Amino acid sequence: MQHLLALWHRFAALFRRRRLERDLDDELAFHLSMREADYRGDGIPAADARVAARRRFGNVTYLREQCRDMWTFHPLETLSQDVRYALRALRRSPGFTIVAVVALAIGVGANTAIFSLIDAMRARALPYTEPSRLVQLWGNVMRSRLERRGNSYMDFLDWRAQAKSFEDIAAFVTMTATLSGNDEPQRLSVEFVSAPYFSLLGVAPARGRTFAAQEDVVAAPGFVLILSDGLWKRRFGADPSVVGARVMLNARPYTVIGVMPPGFKGLSDAAELWAPFAVSAPPETMNNRGNRGFGTLARLKPGATVASAQQELDAISRQLERQYPATNEKRGVEVSPLDVELFGALRPALLTLMAAVAFVLLIACANVANLLIARSETRRREIAVRTAVGASRGRLVRQLMTESCVLTALGAAAGLLLGRVAVPVLIAQSPVTFPSFVTPDLDLRVAAFTIAVSMACGILVGLVPGLQARNVDLNNALKETARGSDGRHSQRVRNALVVAELALAVVLLVGAGLMIRSVRNIAALDPGFDPASMVTLRVSVPRASTPPEAAAPGAPAAVPEPVVRGQALLERIRAVPGVEAVALGSDLPLDGNASAGTYAAEGMAPVTAENSPRGYSHRVSPEFFSTLGIRLLAGRTFNEGELTPASAVAVVSERVVKRFWAGQDPIGRRIKFGTLTSTSPWLTIVGVAGEVKYRGLPENPTADPDIYLPFIDRNQQFSLAVRASVQPSSLVAPLRAAIRAADPSIPIYDVSTMADLVAGQTSQSRFTMWLMGVFAAVALTLSVIGIYGVMSYLVSQRTREIGIRLALGAARPDILRLVVGNGARLIAGGIVIGLAAAFALQRLVASLLYGVTAADAASAVAVALLAAVALVACYVPALRATRVDPLRALRYE
Amino acid sequence: MPGTLDMLVLKTVSRGPMHGYAIALHIQQASQDVLRVEEGALYPALHRLEVRGWLKAEWGTSDNNRRAKFYKLTALGRRELENEAEYWHRVAAAVTRVMQTA
Repeated sequence: MQHLLALWHRFAALFRRRRLERDLDDELAFHLSMREADYRGDGIPAADARVAARRRFGNVTYLREQCRDMWTFHPLETLSQDVRYALRALRRSPGFTIVAVVALAIGVGANTAIFSLIDAMRARALPYTEPSRLVQLWGNVMRSRLERRGNSYMDFLDWRAQAKSFEDIAAFVTMTATLSGNDEPQRLSVEFVSAPYFSLLGVAPARGRTFAAQEDVVAAPGFVLILSDGLWKRRFGADPSVVGARVMLNARPYTVIGVMPPGFKGLSDAAELWAPFAVSAPPETMNNRGNRGFGTLARLKPGATVASAQQELDAISRQLERQYPATNEKRGVEVSPLDVELFGALRPALLTLMAAVAFVLLIACANVANLLIARSETRRREIAVRTAVGASRGRLVRQLMTESCVLTALGAAAGLLLGRVAVPVLIAQSPVTFPSFVTPDLDLRVAAFTIAVSMACGILVGLVPGLQARNVDLNNALKETARGSDGRHSQRVRNALVVAELALAVVLLVGAGLMIRSVRNIAALDPGFDPASMVTLRVSVPRASTPPEAAAPGAPAAVPEPVVRGQALLERIRAVPGVEAVALGSDLPLDGNASAGTYAAEGMAPVTAENSPRGYSHRVSPEFFSTLGIRLLAGRTFNEGELTPASAVAVVSERVVKRFWAGQDPIGRRIKFGTLTSTSPWLTIVGVAGEVKYRGLPENPTADPDIYLPFIDRNQQFSLAVRASVQPSSLVAPLRAAIRAADPSIPIYDVSTMADLVAGQTSQSRFTMWLMGVFAAVALTLSVIGIYGVMSYLVSQRTREIGIRLALGAARPDILRLVVGNGARLIAGGIVIGLAAAFALQRLVASLLYGVTAADAASAVAVALLAAVALVACYVPALRATRVDPLRALRYE
Repeated sequence: MPGTLDMLVLKTVSRGPMHGYAIALHIQQASQDVLRVEEGALYPALHRLEVRGWLKAEWGTSDNNRRAKFYKLTALGRRELENEAEYWHRVAAAVTRVMQTA
């Protein structure tokens, strides 16, 4: 309280400084004249009285200073003084200032950019109401390890009825469907969602309403649709009276009941349409507890946690397992926060990058500290002079700190600008697709982060020269000849900084090397098929006339004729110039449409839920294997006659054989889908195919085999794999034309090249690799500047010594060796420490690596590169040292 | 003794508003010229006490009709004077006791 009052008085005094000065002069003058008058009254002559009064008073100037001092607001006045002084000093040495500011700008800019990305991926950044309480529920199964699955509708209903942890829960599944009716047919991404889906997310429709509970009943669903803003504008011309319009989805009439606000594309971030979950599958599929395949969104009640919800669902799962052992053995539920679901995959890479940019910032700080020390060495005399005329050490330290803070503030401002430019570039350049609702911005938190980092940096950087200023030996420093004779301590600090910089650069270089190598490894990996020169696309072949009850996806039998048969489509495409081969498949490698089921092998031992065989089935045309370059290890592919629903043949992948008929001839053996006792027909194995990385690179997510079945025209949506003899992308237009010529009502979608699908699998590693490379290059540059600075300084400090050595007969190569040897010791130290750190840290990035360790050739190359560049940085000043003229060097001081 | 001057000033001013010269004279006379220092040393102390809020200054007219700065004790200053005086008496008594017994 007392101090606050004094502070306030001093602060207020700032604004009436002139008045205070005048008052002080008047006050002192009054005293002197009173004393003088008293003396005169005692009979002392006027002239003597004046002198005596002054003598009695003391040193007027000094005392006035003392009084004035009482009123100065030190923190602010000395600060503005120091800042002005610092700016002047920085302007006097523009080279130093530019290097330091650029180094800091890169460090701070990179940190800000990466931090912005990370910050944009937190739960609170999600554009939903209280996103931190949103979770997803995933079915899982304990097999050889815990595997994640979708949910079944019957389980979902039980969770909804029994779980008390949630405010509400909603099922959702994304499928593509054909929208027709008011324009040409179009394949669109549709989210089938339970009624509470929108209220759970806290998103209200811009027009109309969302689904009512009675529209989401499996027995009697409502055929109603909600449009996305984009679709409404694109296809309905933003018609304000669209609510109530009738459209066709998968050839069934639906009524539009609402339009969502702009930017909302559902949890899949791709939805154009929403339909009630109840229409997503026919009732018999919904009522099968073993049929699992959709996601579930839930909102935790206030007070409930992920852990408590997990506990509750574990209990429900155990009870369901007892009730329904056939479908629920070893089945559980995983409660996972929504932000983890949406961003989890991106986080390891971003955290790695965060560590990398932190290193870059540390290197930048070390560099600037080095520059500042060099400067404080050359300013030793200036500091000595200031000390001699009465500057206290604390005052000097504060002034030097202010200087480094001003410097870092400039660097931070430049870095903030850099970050602002860098964030959109990063997102644009990133091969990882960021969800559309990730909108990183330089918000207050990011600015605060930058300021915190730069201030920490300023204090860190200012500390070293500041502390050194305290050790100034006045006598030596003021003596002209003493220049450059000491500073041993500061040389040690600078050496340590250079070693640290080099060590950090080694870590980054090794890290970048690891990324590059693992991306190469993944690219060089044999995926089991040949992705080169291949165009892939998907089509949805409409039925000639579709009865309404078969409209829903997955509808059973009684299928009418398609408008064009698969074989006919193949013929047309084969005729396109530039097409070398073409095949049909219900799905293609890496296109994400694979679906799995359990199967049984004839004569197999009894199985449990943990090891029951599970396989991915694909319906393929006979030329599928040759077109995609999948090896046939035994037997044959299908023949034309087998492309009917009645044929009971299969081609299996190698793993099936290894599991059940290792060392035997698998041709002619039989498998069936479901369990041994299921009613599905036995399928005779006619061929064995090599394993394919069908569902992911570098490895399939699970080790389940592939089972290929003959393509049949019941497949309404299927993929085409076209091997091109020309540039693949040039084939897209002719392929579209050929399909349109077969039937104009066929929607074509998911057009891609196989090379792009492969690239998509490595996008995260490539993104990380690219940025790590940039950061490593920056780190290398900065640390080389650092070592160059130290060596140059060392040489300039030792000019006299080198001159004496030369005068006494040292050969120039000896001098070269002396100086380079000095640098080499630092380089070796940095590399050893850096390598140790790199080994220690590599497990942190293990999830981003494939088939590499820090102990391989690439790391050696990176380190050799660093050593070579650093040695050159030593060599240049060393060369200068050998050119020292002994006479001049001796006279120099 | 450090801080003693502050106390003396506060005590002097507690008699009523006074200008610097009068304060200096009073301290000299009351101490029978024992405490006779450089008069100017008084002013930094006065300004310090003013900044701390123990004294309040006002410009007025002196006995000989000149403009002078008058200092007045504030409530805060009065409390401070009591504390200082109490402390001083304790220390002085203690010192005296030691000097008598040793």
